[in-house]
Amino acid sequence: MKNLNFFIRVITLLIPCCILQANEFDFEGRWILSLQDKKRTLIGLLEIEKNDQAWVAYLEGGPVEINIKQNQIEILADSRDVRGFVFNRRLTGFLVNKQIQGRYQQEGAAAQKEEPGPWSAVRDRKHKSTTNLPKIPKPEEISGIWTATQELDFRKYSMSLTQEGKDWLEQYLPYYDQPDVRCTSIGLPALVTYSFPFEIIFSNGRYTFLYEYQSKVRRIWANTESPGSFMPPSRMGFSKGVWEGNELVIKTQLLEKTVRDFRGELISENAIIEERYSLSEDGQTLTALIIVDDPDNYQRKPIRRRQWVRNASTEIFPYSCDPDSFYIPMYQDGEMQMYIDRSPLRF
Amino acid sequence: MLKLFNLVFISSYLFSGVAVGHHSFTSEFTAEKVITLHGDIQQVWFRNPHVRYLLSVKTSEEESVTWDLRGSPVVWLARKGWTKDIISLGDKVIVEGYPGHDGRKMLSIIKVTLSDGTVLIDRAPE
Repeated sequence: MKNLNFFIRVITLLIPCCILQANEFDFEGRWILSLQDKKRTLIGLLEIEKNDQAWVAYLEGGPVEINIKQNQIEILADSRDVRGFVFNRRLTGFLVNKQIQGRYQQEGAAAQKEEPGPWSAVRDRKHKSTTNLPKIPKPEEISGIWTATQELDFRKYSMSLTQEGKDWLEQYLPYYDQPDVRCTSIGLPALVTYSFPFEIIFSNGRYTFLYEYQSKVRRIWANTESPGSFMPPSRMGFSKGVWEGNELVIKTQLLEKTVRDFRGELISENAIIEERYSLSEDGQTLTALIIVDDPDNYQRKPIRRRQWVRNASTEIFPYSCDPDSFYIPMYQDGEMQMYIDRSPLRF
Repeated sequence: MLKLFNLVFISSYLFSGVAVGHHSFTSEFTAEKVITLHGDIQQVWFRNPHVRYLLSVKTSEEESVTWDLRGSPVVWLARKGWTKDIISLGDKVIVEGYPGHDGRKMLSIIKVTLSDGTVLIDRAPE
């Protein structure tokens, strides 16, 4: 009993000692942030920097508000739910033993309600989070139909835009300028991040991705180094896939101009999109890290994460599209001329 | 009582389930409240990119007001058994959803209750 009391005293003395050891500059750098919702775990890259005597931070490439005082941290990060409603998460915590730990809560109206929960952050090991799986799959093992889960993805809303990117976004009108409401392909990277199922087929040294949304077909070349002569830019671009350990790394170029998602941030023709797919050891879960490299429009690379589970009990449904439900109400509301006048802003 | 039943019931409350869609109507709808409408189906558009119904709703002054109801794409709903013929012209329904900004008579559908009690939910898989 005496020993136990002594042990408790020592621990009690040590805890504040460890807390006091941390100072503001220990927060600086790259962290992998993990947030526990009731039903899921979200993962994100948190970058904390000191800029002109002020702390700045970015989550998944997008700016967040940050306050740091000694070993205490507070972050306010925007997000959008699956219906598109924008809300914030307020994270508060402490840096203890090289790890940040705390609680978060949702702020603002959203369709997906989240109960307050725990979050933590550990030092980033340069995107190695998905490469520590022991098994290296055969290329054909990722074939199959995959259904999206709501795990992993923070769905960070605002991004760190260049002036060019900001100027574009300012004139963009969500809904009216969205490609999909008029049945035009949304292209990459949006198609990868949507919640509809998709199918992967591996044959003859190439992967074919069949997306249910908009019935789109995408080819990922494994043995072809560069696009064929005169291959035009497109919403799917030219994708080359190589296995790096247990990750299928797909890099896509030759993209047509499009928007990143409904909000309308631009993806330029110079953009390169990197997707890193990894398969769980039991072959039933597929995970992707999606990074947009487009310096014309983004000061930092936007990041999305997606997870799918193998679903043999479903099929990819056909998707035919009729834009009448977009055009007719617009005509009835007297907005047609406005829409026509905005034609140069759409593609 | 019947008249009362035909009135528009607009009730705001917090929605606590996992709701869904695929892409945004942020510019069109608000998540600040959920409202419930009682009315008759005037028009059915069961097509992608968005299912759309026009709903005739009687106000307390007995005037008919048309609400524009927007749902998820056909593929999303069909997978849940929500098919083209499940809601037809003239059907009396109760609809719950997110209203349009600035009082616009639009609704992003969360749930439709048919006259036989069948409940259709427009939401993503858990």
